[in-house]
Amino acid sequence: MTGFIGNMSRFGFIAMMIAAPLAVFAHGSSRQKVTESVEINASAETVWKVVGDFHDMSWLPEVITTEGGAKPEFAHRKLVLQGGASISESLTKYDADNMSYSYRIDDVDVKVLPVTNYSSTITVAPIEGNKSKVEWRGAFYRGDPNDNPPPELNDETSIAAVQGLYRKGLDNLKQKVETPTAEATH
Amino acid sequence: MKLVAAIICAAALGAIAPGLADEAFTPDQNGDDVSVLDLQTRKLVATIPVGGKPAGIAMSPDAAFAYVTSTEGKYLSVIDTAERKIVRKIMIPDTPLGVAADPAGTFVYVAGFYDNHLYEIDPREGRIVATLDVGHAPSGIALTPDDKLIVTADREDNQLSIIDAASFTRQRIVKVGEHPFGVTIDAPRHRVYAADVESDDMSVVDYENGELVGTVKVGKRPYAIALAQDLAFVTNQYAGTVSVIDLKTLLPIKTIPVGDYPEGIEASADGKTIYVANWFSNEVFAIDVASLTVTAKMPVGDGPRAFGTFLRQTK
Repeated sequence: MTGFIGNMSRFGFIAMMIAAPLAVFAHGSSRQKVTESVEINASAETVWKVVGDFHDMSWLPEVITTEGGAKPEFAHRKLVLQGGASISESLTKYDADNMSYSYRIDDVDVKVLPVTNYSSTITVAPIEGNKSKVEWRGAFYRGDPNDNPPPELNDETSIAAVQGLYRKGLDNLKQKVETPTAEATH
Repeated sequence: MKLVAAIICAAALGAIAPGLADEAFTPDQNGDDVSVLDLQTRKLVATIPVGGKPAGIAMSPDAAFAYVTSTEGKYLSVIDTAERKIVRKIMIPDTPLGVAADPAGTFVYVAGFYDNHLYEIDPREGRIVATLDVGHAPSGIALTPDDKLIVTADREDNQLSIIDAASFTRQRIVKVGEHPFGVTIDAPRHRVYAADVESDDMSVVDYENGELVGTVKVGKRPYAIALAQDLAFVTNQYAGTVSVIDLKTLLPIKTIPVGDYPEGIEASADGKTIYVANWFSNEVFAIDVASLTVTAKMPVGDGPRAFGTFLRQTK
């Protein structure tokens, strides 16, 4: 709920540099999971055309540009957010036949998204009536994986942040796909 | 009519009574409990509240007790497997993760993830009897069946520690792939296999001479390894698959799609079936070793990790 929605200051960038060594794998905390989904009044193929390009995350609010190379097996992307913050991610699995891809976050400031060791899968599935269901799932550790994390980096905050991000992204995706004309006149 | 129904009912109950079929005990980290699956009926037969975010498990050699590590609670629960009850809680002065029981039934070994210790524990007295320094972030633990050697995967040091069990001293350090996690002993070949989380491979080490025999590519984010009939089965968390490796040639022969984030994996005592705990999708899959296909899907509690030996033979 916090950083991804807010702006990124110069201080935040410095904090990211300091916070980086924290982002080690840790079992002191336990891995959390979040699943959010949305039904869209459009065919799965139509939705996959929007979602299925790993190098275009423009359907997620606040993403200004998606930078990245084109090697499919080792694809990386960098989401540049409003305010200048960014998230670096890499593709771990791409399955066009099942309209699904998985990725992990390589680098993010916990002030932007309070998670560590984050991995995620987005899947588009056809449902009855030529509609579709998009499911977005994430697995991650809290922002501070050590014992006694501050409230802004604990399990509850990290779950709420990811749920909020997924909700925002999926609701925006639905709107974008279902009202293409509104998008065009923008 | 009622009598007949009662007899049929009694017969049915008899068939699924605890103690007849083998069982799986999965520590469900998100659900804070241990699920007990009857592997014959493929049904959940008990849920044991454990708390403290359970992850690791070891079955005692006689299958009477299960030892479960709670990573956030920092304790080891001793579970009476037949009674489905916690009989003892042993506090650990660190985050406990990997756990293994010695084949003699004397000690339980627990890896302390942050303080880099291996603890030797007397489970009857409920106390730590010895502490050994190992490498950084010790994770999986395995013992040779002759009870002579203990192996730890020292995750952050990219190495295995090979420890003499009798003297409880480290004999060797063997460098392996990046971030080894689960370790499994292959006594006939005097090898230990390690799942290397970061380098997406399986390291093969000869534990007698401490040599790295080979490295086999597996799927993304491997976690743990089970052995059956000259095959290794490796869970790949990010890939959602199990890699099957021929142990004679050290070549991969098949990739089996399973549930989401497969983690704990173990072979049945007869070597015919492999059981896999899928952490994200909350289920245990059975894989038939002969056909290398998934033959059963059994729901369990939330977030089964089952890191260690989680199968219980009841016969």
